[in-house]
This record gives sequence, C-alpha cells and structure tokens, in this order.
Amino acid sequence: MEAINGLAMGFSVLFTPENLYFCFLGSLVGTLVGVLPGIGPLAALALLLPITFQMSPVAGLGMLCAIFYGAMYGGSTTSILVNIPGEAASVVTALDGHAMARQGRAGSALGIAAIGSFIAGTISLVALTFFSPLLASVAISFGPPENFGLMVLGLVSTLYMIGGSKVKGILMIALGFLAATVGMDIVNGQDRFTLNNVNLAGGIEILSVVIGLYGVAEILANCETIVKNQLLADKVRGLWPSFSDWKASWKPMMRGSFLGFFLGLVPGGGPVTASFVSYTLERRLAKTPERFGKGAIEGVAGPEAANNAAVSGGMIPLFTLGIPGNAVTALLLGALVIQGVQPGPTFITQRPDLFWGVVASMYVGNVFLLLLNLPLIGLWVQCLRVPYRVLFPLILLLAVVGTYSANKNVFDLWVMLGFGIAGYVLRKLQYEFSPFLIAFVLAPMLEQSLRQSLVMSPHGMLIFAERPIAACLIGISLILAVLVFRQRKLNQPVGDI
Amino acid sequence: MKLIHSFISVLAAAASATAMAQVSPDVAKLKPKDFPTQSIEYTVVYPAGGGMDLTARQLAKYAEQVSGDKILVNNRTGGAGMVGHAYLATQAKPDGYTVGILANLVWGDAMLRGKDKWSLSNLETIAYINSDALAWVSATKGPFAGKSAKEIVQAAKDKPGTVRVAIVPGSMWEYLIDQIEAATGAKFLRVPFQGGKPGIVALLGGNVDIAQGFYGEFESYLQANQVKPIAVASSSRLSNMKDVATFNEIFGTKDIVWNIIRLAVVPKGTPADRKAYLAAMINAAVRTPALTAEFAKLGAYADPLLTNPATAAAELDKMAQAERAFYVKTGRLK
Repeated sequence: MEAINGLAMGFSVLFTPENLYFCFLGSLVGTLVGVLPGIGPLAALALLLPITFQMSPVAGLGMLCAIFYGAMYGGSTTSILVNIPGEAASVVTALDGHAMARQGRAGSALGIAAIGSFIAGTISLVALTFFSPLLASVAISFGPPENFGLMVLGLVSTLYMIGGSKVKGILMIALGFLAATVGMDIVNGQDRFTLNNVNLAGGIEILSVVIGLYGVAEILANCETIVKNQLLADKVRGLWPSFSDWKASWKPMMRGSFLGFFLGLVPGGGPVTASFVSYTLERRLAKTPERFGKGAIEGVAGPEAANNAAVSGGMIPLFTLGIPGNAVTALLLGALVIQGVQPGPTFITQRPDLFWGVVASMYVGNVFLLLLNLPLIGLWVQCLRVPYRVLFPLILLLAVVGTYSANKNVFDLWVMLGFGIAGYVLRKLQYEFSPFLIAFVLAPMLEQSLRQSLVMSPHGMLIFAERPIAACLIGISLILAVLVFRQRKLNQPVGDI
Repeated sequence: MKLIHSFISVLAAAASATAMAQVSPDVAKLKPKDFPTQSIEYTVVYPAGGGMDLTARQLAKYAEQVSGDKILVNNRTGGAGMVGHAYLATQAKPDGYTVGILANLVWGDAMLRGKDKWSLSNLETIAYINSDALAWVSATKGPFAGKSAKEIVQAAKDKPGTVRVAIVPGSMWEYLIDQIEAATGAKFLRVPFQGGKPGIVALLGGNVDIAQGFYGEFESYLQANQVKPIAVASSSRLSNMKDVATFNEIFGTKDIVWNIIRLAVVPKGTPADRKAYLAAMINAAVRTPALTAEFAKLGAYADPLLTNPATAAAELDKMAQAERAFYVKTGRLK
C-alpha cells in the first residue's frame, strides 16, 4: 500500500511540463548515444551532468536515468544492423541479431529488442516499486566471496555460449584475462605489464577495446566486400515481428527480465554480465541450440530484456543504500550529491518526493522509448541501404570521437586501432570476440574478490564453501562446466579445434 | 554529441532562471588586459561524479560568478589520477588556460610514481580550496559495536591479524594503518578495496570490522545509525564531528594526520599576472558563503592553517615535505 501511495505521489510530482520534457529529452539522447558506436551512456552522462545543476532534482535525475536505460534500447540497433555494438551490453545481441538482419529479418529483431526492453524495463520497475527495501539487503549480503562466485558463473556461462571451437574460446578468455592484468595491481598497487608507460598504468580502456574489436575490425572486414556497395541488398522482409517470433520470444523475455533484475542488483552484476548470462540460459533451454548464432530470435529477446532489467535492478542499491554498482550509477550518485541529496538508508524516508518522482519518471520514460523506437525501426532498416562508402567512414568518425571523448587521451585511439587490426586478423582465423570481452570485463573484479576473500578467510579456500550464496553460485558454475565438457564430447569430432 | 550538448544547454538555461551574481572587485582589479580570451579549463584527474569532480564543478560555478569568465571542467582520467597529473606536468601549455583542480594525492604520485619523467617542480600551487580528513568508522552492530578506537586497537594487539580493516593499497588508507601499527604494536588484517566507499559498504555487510573514509562518504549511514566514526586523522577535531577524537589525542602521537587537501595548480611557467588572477578568482569563490555551504554539504572543511592565501603555498609545501619524510622513513622513497 505504501508503495502505491508513494508511486501516486511520484506521478503527481512528475507531471509538470518541465519534468516530462526532460524525461523525453533523456529518452531521446539515450537512444542516440545507444545507437552511435563509441559514445556510451557513461560519456553522455558525464557530458550532461553539469546541465542538471540548474534543473529541479526530479527533472535532472529523471533525464540522466532515461539516458542510461535509453542507451540499452538504442544499443541493440547497430548490433543488429551492422554488427557493431553501440555499447558493451549489446555485444551479445550482435550474435543472433545481425544474423537475423542478414536473413532480411532486421525489422523483427529490432522490434523484439525494443519490445523486450520495454517489457523488461516495466517488470523490473514493478519489482523496484514494491520490493526495494527488501532487496537492498540482498545487495549488501554480497561480499567478496559472493562476488567471486558470481564472476566464476559469468565466465563459465561464456564458455557455454561459445558456438564454435571450445579451444579457441578458452584461448580468447585467457587473452582477455591477460589484457585485463595490464595496469596497476588492484591489491598492492604495483605496475604490471605497463612497459614503463604512464598511459598503460591505468589499464586498457574498455571502450577502446570494444570499439576496436567490433567497430574497426568490422569496417576492415567489410572493406573487402565493398564492391557490393550495399549491406543487405533489398531483401528486407517485414518490419514487424511475426506471430511465431512472438511465440518464441515471450518466455526468454520473462526469464531475461528476472535474471537481469537480480544481476543488476548485486555489485558484480550489471547490464553486461546480465546479457551474457541470459544468452547462455536461453541456449541451454532451447530445443535446438544449434540455431544460436545463426539468427535465433531468443538470442535477441533474452539478452535485450536482461540488460534493460539490470538497469532498474542497479537503481535499488543506489537509492536505498547509496552504493553505486558500476561507473554509470556512480555518476548518478554524483548527480544526487550535487542536488544536495546524499542517497543512503534514509533517502526514501527523507526525500520521498524525489525517490518516487524518479521511479515514476522511469515508468514514463520506458513508454516514451517504446513510442520513440518502434516508428524508428523503419528508418533504421533504411540505413542498411546506405552505401558502405558513406556509412563506414561515418561510423569510423564516430568511433574516433567517442573513444577520445571518454578520457581525452590520444593513447586510447592507438589502443582502439591496435585492437581493430588484431580483431581483423582474429576474425579471419575464426576466433570469437565475446569470450575475450567478457573475460576482460570480469577479470579485475574476479581477481579482486578472490584476493579479498583469501585475505579475509581464516581457512583459505574454504571460505567459498562456508558462505551459502557463494557455495551455491560456484556449485552452479561447476555443473555448467561439466555440461560444457559433455557437450564438447558429444558435438565435436576428434581433432576439430 | 557537441550539437546535442549545446542544444540541451540552451534549453536548460531557458528552463531555469540563473541569477547572475556580481563580479567581485578584488578579482576584477587583477584581471590582465589580454586574458582570458577563451574558456579557462579546470582539469580534474578523477572521473565525473566523484568527490573531486563535484568540488571542481561547484568551484567552477562560483569562480565564473566572481570573475564573469567562462570555465569548463574537463576530466582527464586513468591510472588513479596519474595520467592527468602527468598531462598537467608535462603536456599542458603554461598559458593560464589550464588549471589543475587536484588533491594532495598528487604529491605521493609525483614522489613515488613520477619516476624521472616529472616531479612536483613541474607544477605550481596557486590556491587552497578545502580539506577532508580520513576517519575510522565501525558498525553499530557486530563484535566491535560501541567499542572505542583504543579498545579495537587493543583487540588487534591481543589477537594479531584478526581485526579486519578496509584499506586502499598504496595510499593514505594504508599509510594510516602503518602508523597506528608502528605506534601501538597492534597488527591488523588488511582487506584491499578500490576506494573508501567500497570499504564502507563491506563494513555494512559485516565483511570488515573497520572502514576508513571521509565524512561525505559515510554521512548517510551515520544518520541511519548504521555506522559510527571513532577516530579522525586530522590535526584538530573537525566541526562536523566534534565528539570524535583525533588519532593523535587517542594515541599520544603527533604525526598521524592523513587528509585530502584540495588545491589548484598551474603548469610551471604560467605568467605571473595570469597566475595571480586565477588565484584571486578561486580565493574569492571559496570565500563565498554559498560555496562554503556547498562544500560543507560534501563533508569538506577549511583547514585554518591554509585559509590565508598569503601563506597557504608555503604551508602546503611544508606538508608535502612532511609526506616525503614519511616515505623516506618507511623506505618507500630513497
């Protein structure tokens, strides 16, 4: 009851022209930064943060949140159309989404992605509305051993989702780990593999890696076929998901929503992990897993729902505990502090107008995004008709600007180029990038939580068995690992790597 | 993006009426004839949204008001601040358009990690902004609830290596523990974290026994009665925590002082008249009661040793030397 009263109050706070206008603006900007490769939600939020100083708190915060979840809507667009993820949480969407686009089903993929995002966004908001205080305790119960369990699960899931050679997949995971160790050791502050270069001391910038591996490598690969001049010719069939698409998608959407919500809630989760784990789950549950990677709509519906739900999940520790789970929520925390609000355990009781106002704005923002994204599908599909020689220089320009604007460091551009060339070669040798990327993302947290756990533990490795949540997560990982092994035995002829 | 940016700026400006404050005469009389002809850039070496960034952005807002000039805040991040520090020391032009809004962490960075590429002599401090002191906080539940700092240290002495304290490796969070162990003979179990805040979260979850952080980081948990500050690493008690004793009071020491001092620097060789103008702008902004209130909201305070602009630079230099002495004494620096 309290929640319903609160929400009613939130809507009454929200419904002023100013608040609604900024909520819409946030949705629009979010969609744009999601679509544009290189400019992620973090860069956009950092850029727009100062502008919110002069706005009312609800308008300012509502706008920033809208950019964050708006980017999850928009991020899938370039993944599907040109195989270049708009941001890291949409990497998985490219696997099946782009395969669908190649088959002329770009409209279906985009439609399912948008609607899945909307459904997941709304489901997770309902959970946020009613269970915030309760769920806050879940977030805080995740200490280092639990985070370690979660990271292991994330990694094993990746192994499971690899379509081709497992050996190549494991190799890419190992490379991802290696790349992630560059920089300052997070436990004792020593430099590792920095070659005495100040730019490497902070580690390799993830944005440069994503844009290089996906954006630049994709452009290089397409230069070979540039004579064809058009990406997908004219075989675009139907702009809307068909009945059978729906039938195949609704369950993955539901599962993705719940999974994403919970992974967003806990510190080590977030949209990127959520999308990877959801893909694994769908592939595991599918009757015909071999379709995955070749245009299975479940592989779009699940992860797209999961990454959106993870955004709402991440808001719970932020609002109820003042704990930001990732860089984007940390920035939102900064925005709150500037507005004179210190989010923490007393935030909801002290500023119910602001909390419920922002929650209400998220409901409205999701509706705006759906209304904004569905009509745009037709337009996006038309982009496929833009000739390469126009489209790719444009994407490259955006990639360069986006990468530079994140840290204003020219070195990041060289890293992007390096990963682009490496990515091109690896593509030729049929290596998948997603295991590399997820290992690169998870490795620092995995290392830190493992080392923290071992420092904390009086009985060494036993700490992972002593803590129930950690034990459970590691147990699931072990089962998955066994399944990977068996799957390999069944599916792969001897000698094929 | 730039287009969207300016588009929204215009809209936002229209949506809210910003009151233009008076240009301060103290600042105006120091304005050089040829400066500034473009925006001044405040460089922050930590990501947007963090404590340092918020300080710089608030400062910029008031410095714009007292000077009438345009100021941009730019985050040059990476390597826990090292990339930005090196940029200011070695790459930024000394023309007055680049001002670093830094923490005293730049000292340790220059001494321990600048190697032979750059040192503090490449930078000139022009103004003091504010301070934040590191405090010990314990949880209001669990084995150490209600215990004083002295009692907890005693526990770490009786059973060495069992009291878990959150640290940030290679920084004041760790040096503070070094000093307390040296002064008392206690031995703590150090659990490494990537910043003060994650350590406080671990304290709430019962994963460590003591966290170390700044007032702004734990204020909301203090209000909710979940944590309690038990000692502070400042030279005298702080106005926002009057009943919390300093480490020096508790252990009868003199040198346990670890605080963040925020200051403004310019690259070496910036013309004297521009330097004086930039300093006047910052000093005038910091004296604005509204900005003092904003800083207090972030948990920061003005260190009485540093509030006189005429002597601040010399005092800061003394503090940097004291830090160097600590590194030499503990074998971190030769």
